[in-house]
Amino acid sequence: MNMTTPIEQREFRIVGKSVKRDDVLEKVTGEAQYTGDIKLPGMLHGKIKRAAIAHARIKAIDVSKALAYPGVKAVLTHETVPRVLHYGSPHPRSASCTRDQYILDDKVRFWGEGIAAVAAISEEIADEALDLIEVEYEALPAVFEPEDAAQPGAPLIHDVGPGGNLVLDPVRVSRGDIDKGFAEADFVLEGTFSGGRPHPAYMEPNVCIADWDGSNKLTFWTSTQTSFMVRGILAEVLGLPLTKVRVLVDHMGGGFGAKQDLFQHEFLCALLAKETRRPVKMEFTRHETFVAGRSRHPCRIWLKQGFKNDGTLVARDMKLVYDSGAYGSHGPGVTIVGTTAATSLYRCENVRLEGRCVYTNTPINGAFRGYGVVQSYYALDIQMDEAAERLGMDPADLKLKNVVRAGDIAPSGHPIIGHGLEICLQHGVDVLDWKALWNRDRTPDPKRPHIRKGWGIGCEMHGSSAYPGIKEQGNATVKINEDGTVTLLTGAAGLGTGAHTALAQIVAEELGVRFEDVGVIHGDTDVVPWDIGAFASHTTYLVGTAAKMAAGKVRAAVLERAAMKLQVSSDEIDLCDGKVFVTAEPDRSMTVSEAMGPSRGIPAANIVGNGTYEPTKSYSFAAHFTEVDVDTETGIVEVKRVVPVHDVGRVIHPIAAQGQIEGGIQQGIGHTLTEDYLIDKKTGRSLNAGLVDYKMPLSMDMPDIETIILEAAPDPGGPWGAKGVGEDPIIAIGPSIANAIHDAIGIRFHHYPITPEDVLKALREKGA
Amino acid sequence: MKRMVEFIVNGEAREMAVDGCRSLLDALRDDVGLTGTKKGCDVGDCGACTVLVDGEPVNACLMLAVEAEGRSVETVEGLQPGVDRLHPLQDAFMRHGASQCGFCTPGILMMAKKLLDDNPSPTDEEIRFGLSGNICRCTGYTKIFDAIKSAAREMEAARP
Repeated sequence: MNMTTPIEQREFRIVGKSVKRDDVLEKVTGEAQYTGDIKLPGMLHGKIKRAAIAHARIKAIDVSKALAYPGVKAVLTHETVPRVLHYGSPHPRSASCTRDQYILDDKVRFWGEGIAAVAAISEEIADEALDLIEVEYEALPAVFEPEDAAQPGAPLIHDVGPGGNLVLDPVRVSRGDIDKGFAEADFVLEGTFSGGRPHPAYMEPNVCIADWDGSNKLTFWTSTQTSFMVRGILAEVLGLPLTKVRVLVDHMGGGFGAKQDLFQHEFLCALLAKETRRPVKMEFTRHETFVAGRSRHPCRIWLKQGFKNDGTLVARDMKLVYDSGAYGSHGPGVTIVGTTAATSLYRCENVRLEGRCVYTNTPINGAFRGYGVVQSYYALDIQMDEAAERLGMDPADLKLKNVVRAGDIAPSGHPIIGHGLEICLQHGVDVLDWKALWNRDRTPDPKRPHIRKGWGIGCEMHGSSAYPGIKEQGNATVKINEDGTVTLLTGAAGLGTGAHTALAQIVAEELGVRFEDVGVIHGDTDVVPWDIGAFASHTTYLVGTAAKMAAGKVRAAVLERAAMKLQVSSDEIDLCDGKVFVTAEPDRSMTVSEAMGPSRGIPAANIVGNGTYEPTKSYSFAAHFTEVDVDTETGIVEVKRVVPVHDVGRVIHPIAAQGQIEGGIQQGIGHTLTEDYLIDKKTGRSLNAGLVDYKMPLSMDMPDIETIILEAAPDPGGPWGAKGVGEDPIIAIGPSIANAIHDAIGIRFHHYPITPEDVLKALREKGA
Repeated sequence: MKRMVEFIVNGEAREMAVDGCRSLLDALRDDVGLTGTKKGCDVGDCGACTVLVDGEPVNACLMLAVEAEGRSVETVEGLQPGVDRLHPLQDAFMRHGASQCGFCTPGILMMAKKLLDDNPSPTDEEIRFGLSGNICRCTGYTKIFDAIKSAAREMEAARP
């Protein structure tokens, strides 16, 4: 979108108000239907046999005993399913996908990979039958760390790809002259950083149901963010036209990015249902959501930056290695986005970046809120704090000096619109009286001398939409009924963010009807317009604009029709709050219902508006100000207070936007301090695939969060300037905590999670 | 081996034959047909299946259906005081944005009901402690705390 395009200003009736979310009414009464709540007559239950080895060839697999087990209706192995090499991350417009998966293969690439599937009359019988499947493996040497996998001569996990266990060719980005930059530097900082393997841990385990009808059409209910992608790839792999695959998703219990793969169990469920000619449900256990779900890519980063003594950044050299796990999934996208992001955030003219993504014999890593950027900005922001320390500067001053501003080139290659990051940072500095905080007396409270307080700042920016990696398209269809009510059809999934409410607000605002007169139809690929999926913080920005376009067309058609009935020209009338009136004589009016209904020989009209929007990208910004208590006796870091300051452009639904920020902070606190999905380095086995051993922040762990949302830099590419918000908070919170820990105890951590053991060990080494 | 079990669900007597090893959660969801109570882990870790049994919160996945014999079970479907009327907690959850994906919501509502039944004006700390067995992964809990405090105030004000 051209940055000079003006953003329409108006008095909003609905946009910017926290209207009641319709979906939440169903959720508080228990009526909301999730995929797992659906029960079909004659439905069977499917279960997956998972490998108990990390890397092996399957020499033989004997399912005869399982097949003979009473109640078992079908068993599938690599010998009986179609062998089609397919994508895991099925974005049809993306160049960054890796075609490296089979439904079932004769090779095992990670501990827990599915090797056979059973359908039976009950879950218990299906489970018992799994134990009757006999497998003979030929063990292969396995690699669990990207460093080991990238060594020459390391065992190869795939035959496809560029080789050397690389998922894609290294991503290289350079700007300016790196050597000249370092030559101009007064000092250089160099460090290595690493990130663990946080898991999204959405509350609803993955689940799907497959049902084939007599015409060989597959109806497929699944908890997915990308229903059209599921339809496309299921159809391709099963050899069906798109008319023969209908994907349905109503409510879903979270996804956070990770429910946008095409999962192995989804194919197997469809095939088991086909084989048995009965509906089949497959529901993950919590253990399976870890083992067979998708986590964030562990990452190793080397970062070297040159600074002038006045704080100017003159050179940035960075190498990133992302651990993809056993399959490519979103590895290419994550590597490209996470690497390219490091061109920005803090201005630097001379940049050289190299991102690699490496296969290992570990569970698959995929898309997860913050998509590669959590990792790279953790390093950038912490090193910026280190530079401030070296310069004897307040980190807020150094960050303010260097943050990207309007006109700077964003990672997408476009000029940044507005001074969003500078405004967020400055606002936080002002409201917190940061100068006083930073210059405070740091003497510990004599009553609790083992507790050290610290404050830290974390900055971030993140794009709404996956452009340019994916050429996105948002679609919406708006229909107006003869009683003046309006139906919006959208393919955008409802992960729980309130996106459908925001879309309805946009339609009501643009069309001129009341919010409660707009209904939203979603989640049925046979009915709604094509949708790319709900990811990349883009639904409000992308689909919102398409919905606004579609509503605008309907509005114009309603005005035409009302003008005819009022016997005036359509430019003499206006439409607001469901009422059409002559602008010059507001008493001459009719309701939208009267305009739309049949009258005086004019039949009811069929007015439908379609909107299609192909955006580039906008960037949202945030600065998080975080207070921690570090207990020097136990090593426990407690986050006490967070003041997140976000620029999201025009706010459509304030409470929903705040909810995204607060929830992102919760997940980010977990990533930074406690969450790490651990894989045994000797066997590749999962060590903590459950909600007790995988430690997430719970109600007792949450700090006070004082969310501030600024409409600092609206983007003409979104509806009335709206931008994304879903991913931003999880990126900024991490470095703000790491920087606050340094402020508290003078120790720099370059990794996450920063566990109590790490803190105690570092304190001992420091001799404190 | 099936056994007959009789219990009360949301004020209505139920009688059914269940396997001895069937959890109360599966019985509620599959046999009674009340799917509002969610299965997030099936091992008592997440609290999504919290129901009240004789007024006490229970992870329905950890209780056998046969253990509910003669007892009274309340689920989220029984929270509404009447058709088209919401419990103050339900209304507050809507107004405050305390539910995002909604999967933890039924369990949290039941736990919050128990909390307010016992303690009509809980402190922030008591609310945090009361919800410590319920995982919410979407909201950061902030708006859940707001909603519970708001409902507590309303219920207090409505008391004669």
